[in-house]
Amino acid sequence: MRGSLVDHYGQTQIADRMSNHGSKMAKVVMMPGQDLFARTGSMVAYEGLIDFNAQPPQVRRMAQSWATGEGVQLMTATGQGLLYLADYGKEVIILRLANEGLSVNGKNILAFDAHLQWSIERVRGVSMVSGMGMFNVVVRGEGWVALTSKGNPVMLDTREAPTYVDTDALVAYTDGLKVEPRRTARLGGLIGRGSGEAFQLGFSGQGFVVVQPSEDERPHFKMRG
Amino acid sequence: MVQQFARGQKSQLSAITAGTDLYVGIQLNAPGVSWDISCFGLDENDRLSDDRYFIFFNQPKSPEGSVQLLGAQSGDSESFRITLPSIPASIAKLAFCAAIDGAGSASQLTSGYFRLVAGGEEVMRYSFTGADFTAERAIMICDVYRKGVWRLAAVGQGFAGGLAELIRSYGGEVEDEAPPAPPAAAAAAGGGAPGFAPPAFSPPPGGPGPAAPPPLPAQPASAYPPPGPAPSGPPVPPVPAGLAGAGAAGLDGPDLPSAARPVGAGAMVSLQKYREQPTTGRWTKQNSKLVKVTLGPEALALRGAMVAYQGNVEFDYKGQGLRGMLENKLTGQGLKLMTCKGTGEVFLAHDAADLHIVELSGQTLCVNTKNILAFDTTLHTEIRRIESAGIPGGGLFHFEVSGQGTLVVMTKGSPMTLPVAGPTFADMNALVAWTSGMRVSVSTQVRISRQIYGGSSGESLALQFMGLGGHFVVVQPYEV
Repeated sequence: MRGSLVDHYGQTQIADRMSNHGSKMAKVVMMPGQDLFARTGSMVAYEGLIDFNAQPPQVRRMAQSWATGEGVQLMTATGQGLLYLADYGKEVIILRLANEGLSVNGKNILAFDAHLQWSIERVRGVSMVSGMGMFNVVVRGEGWVALTSKGNPVMLDTREAPTYVDTDALVAYTDGLKVEPRRTARLGGLIGRGSGEAFQLGFSGQGFVVVQPSEDERPHFKMRG
Repeated sequence: MVQQFARGQKSQLSAITAGTDLYVGIQLNAPGVSWDISCFGLDENDRLSDDRYFIFFNQPKSPEGSVQLLGAQSGDSESFRITLPSIPASIAKLAFCAAIDGAGSASQLTSGYFRLVAGGEEVMRYSFTGADFTAERAIMICDVYRKGVWRLAAVGQGFAGGLAELIRSYGGEVEDEAPPAPPAAAAAAGGGAPGFAPPAFSPPPGGPGPAAPPPLPAQPASAYPPPGPAPSGPPVPPVPAGLAGAGAAGLDGPDLPSAARPVGAGAMVSLQKYREQPTTGRWTKQNSKLVKVTLGPEALALRGAMVAYQGNVEFDYKGQGLRGMLENKLTGQGLKLMTCKGTGEVFLAHDAADLHIVELSGQTLCVNTKNILAFDTTLHTEIRRIESAGIPGGGLFHFEVSGQGTLVVMTKGSPMTLPVAGPTFADMNALVAWTSGMRVSVSTQVRISRQIYGGSSGESLALQFMGLGGHFVVVQPYEV
């Protein structure tokens, strides 16, 4: 049999704990003792013996502190083998943290090493302005993280200039950046016929912000319940 | 107050000093090694497009004198005077570099610094030592660059080749392999430099003499690599433009799993392939799905299309006037726009659609309203209608864009541009754009086939285009 499906899309050499398989799939090498947190339902294939636990106790505890149902659905994966992850055809970004912190939008986290320090935090300022919550997963330490982005992302350097980001397009940022909401619309603009860009989050400091070329579609003024 | 810079640190110049007539001093202490210190005036693609802006011992002055080499003085191994307001717009970056003349390597540096002096007072200093480098033969020390406003970046990066390679890497030409001039000439030019006007200010009198203050102890190790082109590993020639191109190609090309590359350590390094592309004009394509517009003149964009911006930008509701509002009511084809104004750079995207930059110079293009992302305010737009009894609602509404300026068209998937030679048919729902001046009508053949496959097509309505040479039709692989 010949064709690109056979020639180019086959299994690739294993180099690291995490790598890209194409731009939209992550490949994770699983070893005993190296557990993984992954978005619930993101597994597309695996080889070997891997167990998934959709409601691990660590996450359940965390879940109770979330105010709304929107947030991060995580599962643990344990075992030995190769695990392939994807999230509805979004681009996958593989990051290797070198003793640094990263704050990731809950909608954009795909997987991360279980040995990393992590917590779920509410982004300050967002709910204040918009009335909706935004939950970020903050991971810190030495290890691997996989993110998703709808379309090719861009990394903006906040050392050059303060960077303002549409909260719907925010993927991740260096933990520890100064975050402050900014309103660009006059009050009248907020009612009825705004520019669609009523407020943004401003980031400044030593680090970066990753932005995706799409505003996740969701109701802007979600009722809490 | 002297601001101490660390490797990789960036800042706006205005945050350091209000002055624009600056003295740049560079000191390099390396026993037994002689250095050629030079300044490259690069264009916005980081190329040395104008040789007259390569300031070194054989050419100590730019044509209008905005960058001058002053020679060794006040403890500095080399000094420059830069007058920012008179630097022409074609020069976007001044890269200060040093290359070893003869034997030696950059790791032999015992100490060194780059400092800025304004009005006789030292305002900024970036100190480095040989520990920052290995066997490199040249170092890129600091960049003064224009990004909206003048900025400064402490680069502190080694470069494997010597001066000649450094020039070539910036796109300059070197006539022969030998150093451009014998060291003796360097000494002569550097020592005297009598032909040039002295700076309007004097360097600090009590400035660091031979007994310069010891360099900063160990550099505070930055968690981030310098934003230079080399993410890690061995020094790579500093060709940001070229590398950026390669990165873009990697993004746009087919992402074959077999062509995967390993990921380096550190979040910033891992993300290098997604970094911001250098600005190449008013509209810059960041990747296939993101466009960056550099404001100054206002731009119009689809409401909600901003994903990020840097600078001082405001977004305003764009009214279309009473006539426009009436048309919206009638057509349901209203384009909801906002005005982006201010200064800075705005990143635009919509729902991960593919973006295409179209430059109009007097031509007229008809674009489906659903496919417009942004355009210059200099363009003239008008809602038009193709009338035909066959079209539901009595006509097809679209935007006719004409004039001078740039338009960003978005498509779902890679579009196809089909030249119109002979009758050409396009599905109304997949149609993105077409040149004006063609005869457009509803195709009868499709109507026949609709009757044949009665139930199947509540959907499709084909338009027939007829025109002379030069006309084209753009369709996308997605039916709205």
